[in-house]
Amino acid sequence: MAKKLLIIDDDPDFVSGIKSILDGAGFEVEVCYNPKDGLQALQTKTFDLLLLDIMMGRGAEGIMIARKLRKDAKLREMPVLIITGMREQIAFLFPGEPIHPRFVEVDELVEKPVEPNLLIEKVNNLISLAEAKKTGKKIKSP
Amino acid sequence: MDKSNEAKILIIDDEEVVLDSCSQILKGSSYLLSTAPDGTTGLAKIKEVQPDLVFVDLKMPGISGFEVLEKIQEIDPTIVTVVITGYATVGSAVDAMKKGAYDFLPKPFTPDEFRLITRRSIERRRLVLETIALRREKEMLREQFASIVSHELKAPLGAVQQNVFVLEHELSHLMNEDQKIKLERIKIRIDELLKLINSWLRVISVDIDKLKGGFSPIQITTPIISALESMETYATRKNILLETNYMEPLPPVNGDALSLSEVFVNIIGNAIKYSADGTKVIIKVEEKQGQLLISIRDSGIGIAEEDIPHIFEGFYRAKSGQSTSGQGIGLAVSRRIIDAHGGSISVASELGKGTTFVVRLPSSTI
Repeated sequence: MAKKLLIIDDDPDFVSGIKSILDGAGFEVEVCYNPKDGLQALQTKTFDLLLLDIMMGRGAEGIMIARKLRKDAKLREMPVLIITGMREQIAFLFPGEPIHPRFVEVDELVEKPVEPNLLIEKVNNLISLAEAKKTGKKIKSP
Repeated sequence: MDKSNEAKILIIDDEEVVLDSCSQILKGSSYLLSTAPDGTTGLAKIKEVQPDLVFVDLKMPGISGFEVLEKIQEIDPTIVTVVITGYATVGSAVDAMKKGAYDFLPKPFTPDEFRLITRRSIERRRLVLETIALRREKEMLREQFASIVSHELKAPLGAVQQNVFVLEHELSHLMNEDQKIKLERIKIRIDELLKLINSWLRVISVDIDKLKGGFSPIQITTPIISALESMETYATRKNILLETNYMEPLPPVNGDALSLSEVFVNIIGNAIKYSADGTKVIIKVEEKQGQLLISIRDSGIGIAEEDIPHIFEGFYRAKSGQSTSGQGIGLAVSRRIIDAHGGSISVASELGKGTTFVVRLPSSTI
């Protein structure tokens, strides 16, 4: 079954770019263009991964979503790929340094624009990492 | 000081004759004058009338002039203060000025002396306020510029590039070599623009002086190795060998690894950029007299003698016929980072022969 992804990003042109890549890679992709719709989708449906723009609108509304995810026991287990156009404001601008925002248990940060193969690789990695964590937990718990 | 209002002056002195004569001198002028016979009343009046200029007698019964000065500083440090003193207490007038008073008025004074010092002090107040307003404006411009650059330039360009990526990804099996080359060119040019915007943002939005707060002892090889890692692909593409020579053991440096590796990324990146295919860039680290010397040597096109003094200035690129693209900000940022570390960067170069950058950093063992 195709993995379900949600993109929350307020830039339609950018979204059309990454959605096309993810569609092509066989994912089922849903899009929300603002944080409010995004939160609603997260609360009513289940996704295998969230692609989140951290700097939507005037402030960092994406961070607000990430904080809400962290507080929610179920959503906390969903992997998040944070996409930002402003890495230098979140961390020190530096090439080649991996940045793990650690908003939720499984997350990673990529900078806009993102290479198609890198995007697909990150999405797949995060999903399998989150699944491994989940099954690992189930085996351990009685 | 509101332009529609007259300048407000407050005189705090216990001698009625001083208050009276001052009022007399300023009569008919465009100043709004109030008076207070002691410090406590004076401070209450300051809060009430918000004066531009306050004259304070140093010797008063009750709380002293010095105390009044201190309190004024707390209430509003932009208020200009002038102390009134007897000749015998000029020494304490100097002390008062050390504490922030702008000037002093020795007793007895002539009307002209009083008028002059008043005019100068009011002018001072105007300048203080203007400086604050300009500083605030500059800060706002800086912030707005950063946000304009990032949102209005970078975001659309990122979206463009994203869609170029998609076209390349989805059409690669349909395109002929020539079309692929054209698309690759588009990608490279957009990528250069994005990098340029990033550098601008970096210069505008990061306060390098704040780095000092986060310094810790580090091995200098750590930022060098991480810089080399991020430059590896670039070097391989240009077929340039990055050779390292660390004269170990090396003492630690007190610094910030991230910003130092940014410096080395800039310098090594430049070395690669201006080198011909198939040449070497040599990175050498050694300790000399309590200093760490990091030298980065290339055998590239070199820098003309007349250009060398300018290369650290920012937004400057040598004119000597280079065909490579660049933004000329990297070295300016690098120098500021090295300055913040108490070190220095120097450069020696010969056209057509190559360039050597030397970074000197104090080792943290001293």
